[in-house]
Amino acid sequence: MTSPAAAKPAACPRCRSTTIGVLAHSPVAGVWTVFGCSTCLYAWRSTEPEENTNPDKYPAPFRLRVEDIANFATIPPVPPRRSS
Amino acid sequence: MRAYKDLREFLTVLEGEHQLLRITDQVLPEPDMAAAACALTQIGEESPAIYFDNIKGFVSARVAMNVHGSWSNHALALGMDKDAAMKDQFFEFVRRFELFPGQLEHVETAPWQEVVVDKDVNLYEILPLFRLNRGDGGYFIDKPCVVSRDPDDWNNDDVENVGVYRLQVKGRNRLGIQTVPQHDIAVHMRHAEERGEDLPIAIALGNEPIITLMGATPLLYTQLEYKMAAVMQGAPYRVVKTAKGLDVPWGSEYVLEGRILYGVREPEGPFGEFPGYYSGCHKYPVIEIDRVSHRKDPVYDAVYVGRPWTEIDYLQAMTTSAPIFLQLKQTFPEIVAVNALYTHGLVVVVSTKIRYGGFAKYVGLRVLTTTHGLGYAKIVIVVDEDVDPFDLKQVMWAMSVKVNPAGDIVTIPNLAENLLDPACSPGGIVTKMIIDATTPVAPDKRGDYGEELDKPQGTDQWRLKLAGLLKEMHK
Repeated sequence: MTSPAAAKPAACPRCRSTTIGVLAHSPVAGVWTVFGCSTCLYAWRSTEPEENTNPDKYPAPFRLRVEDIANFATIPPVPPRRSS
Repeated sequence: MRAYKDLREFLTVLEGEHQLLRITDQVLPEPDMAAAACALTQIGEESPAIYFDNIKGFVSARVAMNVHGSWSNHALALGMDKDAAMKDQFFEFVRRFELFPGQLEHVETAPWQEVVVDKDVNLYEILPLFRLNRGDGGYFIDKPCVVSRDPDDWNNDDVENVGVYRLQVKGRNRLGIQTVPQHDIAVHMRHAEERGEDLPIAIALGNEPIITLMGATPLLYTQLEYKMAAVMQGAPYRVVKTAKGLDVPWGSEYVLEGRILYGVREPEGPFGEFPGYYSGCHKYPVIEIDRVSHRKDPVYDAVYVGRPWTEIDYLQAMTTSAPIFLQLKQTFPEIVAVNALYTHGLVVVVSTKIRYGGFAKYVGLRVLTTTHGLGYAKIVIVVDEDVDPFDLKQVMWAMSVKVNPAGDIVTIPNLAENLLDPACSPGGIVTKMIIDATTPVAPDKRGDYGEELDKPQGTDQWRLKLAGLLKEMHK
C-alpha cells in the first residue's frame, strides 16, 4: 500500500501516461488523494492496494496501450442530425 | 404490501428483522467495503444488508450495501413476510404488476433539497465512492435511478424513464454512462442527438427499495416506472420535479442534475458486470453534472457486482421473470410460470401446459421475441406444467429424461444480444437455443414414455403434519 495522501505519481498505473492530475483530497485532511489519468481516464486512490496504484504491480490483463484507445468501439454511434 | 417513504425507513425495517449488519470498525474504502459485500453474498440466501459509517478519510459518510441482496430482503422490499418462498414472491410480483398503472403524487419539496452544491461540484468528495473490483477502470455509481424524458415528446409522462445504468465517475463533475441500445434511455439520447442537443437527466441515489427494482425491470417504452412502483407499493408514488421538469423520488438521499453531452464519446470501463466478467473498454456517452442536492447526512447505496450470485442477481430476478411471463401469457394462456432468475435471464425456464405436439417450441420462440428476449434470453428451457421452474432439481429431472437432442434442440444463429454477454461473436450477436424438455404428445410421437411416478395417497396431508412436527422440534 502506498503512503496516504501521497505525492503525485510519475505514471498512470494502467496506461503509463504521465498525464496525471489530482481529482480530490480526502475530506479528512491528509488521509488519501484521488488521482486521475486524463489519457485513459483511470482513477485511483493513494491508499488502495498496490495492484491499483503501482504501474509495475497493475494486473497485466487490465493494462492499456495508449494507441489502443482510439480503437475502442463507439457505442452508440452519434446519429446524423436531422435536417431542419 | 408496504410503501417505504425512503431508504432510511427500509433500513430500519431490515434492522428490526435482523437483516441489517452495522460495521462500526473503521474501514478503508478499498478493499474493505467491496470485500465485505462480496463475502456477504457467499454466506447464503438470507444474508443481511451491511451498513458502514466509519470510512477512513470521509467525514460522516454512510454507505449501505446488499440492501436487496437476499430473498429475505427482497420479500421485505415487497412488504411480504421475510420467509416468503421464491415462487410466492414471483406470483405476488406478477399480481401487482397486472394492476399497472398506479398514480403519481406530485409534491413541491423533498428532504433531498436540504443541501445544494451548484458550484465547483466534486463528486469524489461529495459521494463516498470506492472501487468494487480490481480491474474496474475507476469508481462507479452502480445503483442509480437515472431519469430522462423524450426530447421529441417532452411532456408525455408515460415515456419518461427511470433506469439503472452504470455510471463511471471520470472527473469531478463528469460521468460516463452505459446506454445499452435495448434500453429506453438510448431512445431519448438518440432523439436528443438527432436534434443536436444535450439530454437533461437527473440521477437519484439512495432510494427506497421499490423504485430501484422498477428501474431494473424491462418495462415497455410507454410504461413509466413510477406508475409501476405505485402498484408495487400499494400507494401513489411521491415525486418532486426538478427545474428541468424531470420527476425525482421524494425520498432520494442524493439527486445529481446534469446533461448527457451531445456528440461526445469517451473511454469507459472496464467494469465487473452481471455476467461475472469484466465488460472491457468502449467509448461511451458522457454526462456533465451541474448541481448536486442531498439530505443532511445522506446514505449512499451501492451494489456489489461479482461472479453470480451477488446482490445484482436479486435486483434482476423477479423484475425480469414477471414481464416475460405476462408478455408470454398474452400470446399463450397455457403458460404457468417463468424463471428468468439466472444472470439477468440469459437462461429462461418456462413451465407450460401443452396444447398439442410441437407446442413447446413455439413457446420457446415467443420468449425470444419478448422485450427482454430480444437482448438477453439466449437459452430457453421449456418444461411441463407440473415441473416447478424455480426448483432446479425438477428442471434437471425434466432435462434428464424428456430431452432427446435429436428432436428437442432448436438453434437460431446470429440473433441480436446484449453486448455484455461474453459468448457473443461478434459482439452483440449470438446463436440462441431452445430446449424442449416437455413430454412429447401426439402427434409428436417420440420416445417411450409410460406412466410417470406420482405420490402415495395422503402424502400432502403428511407433509403438513411433518412440517408442524419439525417446527415444534426446533422450538
